[in-house]
Amino acid sequence: MRATYLWILQLITGALIAILLGIHLALMHLDDTLGAGGEATGWTAMINRAGDGLFAALYIALLAVGLYHGINGLRGIVLETSPSPRTERIINWTSLVLGIIVFAGAAYVPVALLVS
Amino acid sequence: MKQIQPRQNYLGASGWVWAGKFKIERYLYTLHRITGLGLLLFVIIHLVMTTVFRIQGQDVWESIMVLLHNPWFKVGEYLVVVAFSYHALNGLRLMLQELGFIMGKPTPPIYPWKDALRKKRPVIVVMLVVIAILCALFLVDFFIGGW
Amino acid sequence: MTEESRKQVTFKVQRYDPEKDIKPYFQEFKVPSSRGTTILDGLLHIKETTDSSLTFRASCRMAICGSCGMLINDYPHLACHSQIEEFKTDTITLKPMPNLPIIKDLVCDMTPFFAKHRTVKPYIIRSDAEEMANPSTTYAQKPAELSDYLQFTYCIKCGICVSSCPTSASDSHFLGPQAMAQCYRYCADSRDDGQEERLPTVSGDHGAWNCHLAGACSEACPKGLDPALAIQLLKRRLTARALGIGREQEPSSLAPPPTGIKDKVPFPEFTVKG
Repeated sequence: MRATYLWILQLITGALIAILLGIHLALMHLDDTLGAGGEATGWTAMINRAGDGLFAALYIALLAVGLYHGINGLRGIVLETSPSPRTERIINWTSLVLGIIVFAGAAYVPVALLVS
Repeated sequence: MKQIQPRQNYLGASGWVWAGKFKIERYLYTLHRITGLGLLLFVIIHLVMTTVFRIQGQDVWESIMVLLHNPWFKVGEYLVVVAFSYHALNGLRLMLQELGFIMGKPTPPIYPWKDALRKKRPVIVVMLVVIAILCALFLVDFFIGGW
Repeated sequence: MTEESRKQVTFKVQRYDPEKDIKPYFQEFKVPSSRGTTILDGLLHIKETTDSSLTFRASCRMAICGSCGMLINDYPHLACHSQIEEFKTDTITLKPMPNLPIIKDLVCDMTPFFAKHRTVKPYIIRSDAEEMANPSTTYAQKPAELSDYLQFTYCIKCGICVSSCPTSASDSHFLGPQAMAQCYRYCADSRDDGQEERLPTVSGDHGAWNCHLAGACSEACPKGLDPALAIQLLKRRLTARALGIGREQEPSSLAPPPTGIKDKVPFPEFTVKG
């Protein structure tokens, strides 16, 4: 049953990534073309985004769904190479721990920049 | 009589890539895996850039940006966008088909039969055409000059 | 009567004798072929005239027993069901089916294949143990209910789908398209009430969620069974059950006893008298 829920979540996060990433790419591209703050990856544009709570929310949401989808996908691929039961447990726990650590580490940045 | 140990005959992970002259749907699966892993690799690099290099301040950021203005990185960005288009649209098709929505009903196999995936081949053709159009649009956008 | 054109075709057969060889090697044979000669005819010709140690499985020679599956020019076919002429080449390469262990030459060990089939409990399961042990009558089933799973009953257990599956290629614990298609065949059968017993096997690790719809199993199936469709319909069932949506269907009831017996038709008059 657990595998069923993980798979359903993979579908849901896939759909969410398509939407959120589309928004992210569109916003970055519009920044480049309409050029409100200059080049989208320039320092001034990044400062502007860092102060905006909506951007922080977008980034954290995209981070969560993207990390889940990617790490669960990689875990699925690795588990299909016939590991032993002990190796399977190690892979599962490593995926979970890696996901939590990377999420915590990467979500810290927009939050810290927002409150500073 | 001596007990014979059967010889293992698995194709292994190379069976994901090539196992014979199968039709396109099998290789769409292979490409979905490859684009997924490619995108994961990009995400890791992107996260490192936007967190580790970001919080170190303007000077570090600007020096990294100078490094990234190399035209090869533009090609890399284009490949990421192409991979995302393929993975997203094929993923959407897989979502619908794996839940049985665009797969059709069981039919008795009367020769010459077509299985459900082959009967729904037009869906895959449309998907590939849309991906090709998106890739062409992004090619124009990235390299020939924007709008 | 015109003579059928006979030509010589080369068979490159993968040989492997576990008692003598360390690893498999190819051996070439010349086989006479004319219109309608099957690969199995060629193999039998080799065994009868050239090398009687050539080992392969075959039985019905009409694509119903499922014994003769093998890799013919890098694609899994039934040897009895494939004509030499349809390959349009003078060299035919024969190898045993991949993803199943090799015993000798072209013979695969089907034991793990059948073991995985057994784990999905491929038989009708009802809660009424007395009726199962001593059946009193048949179960009622409408033609529409039959057509929901009829396509998946034609499995001849040849193993060609498992040879084509990319997940089976790397994952030795994966149930395989055959076992999961048969699991769906029984879950979708309106006479069956055993879905709860089968689902833990097929929704766990190395079950239905490791199928990624490559569709090679359905493409290669010699009986047109479409295991890929069965597995996706199975995933639909598993998802609906996990999310709690969809109607639970009651299994078929016992067929009612016949209400009446038609009148006996009188015996016709003999046409030849005396």
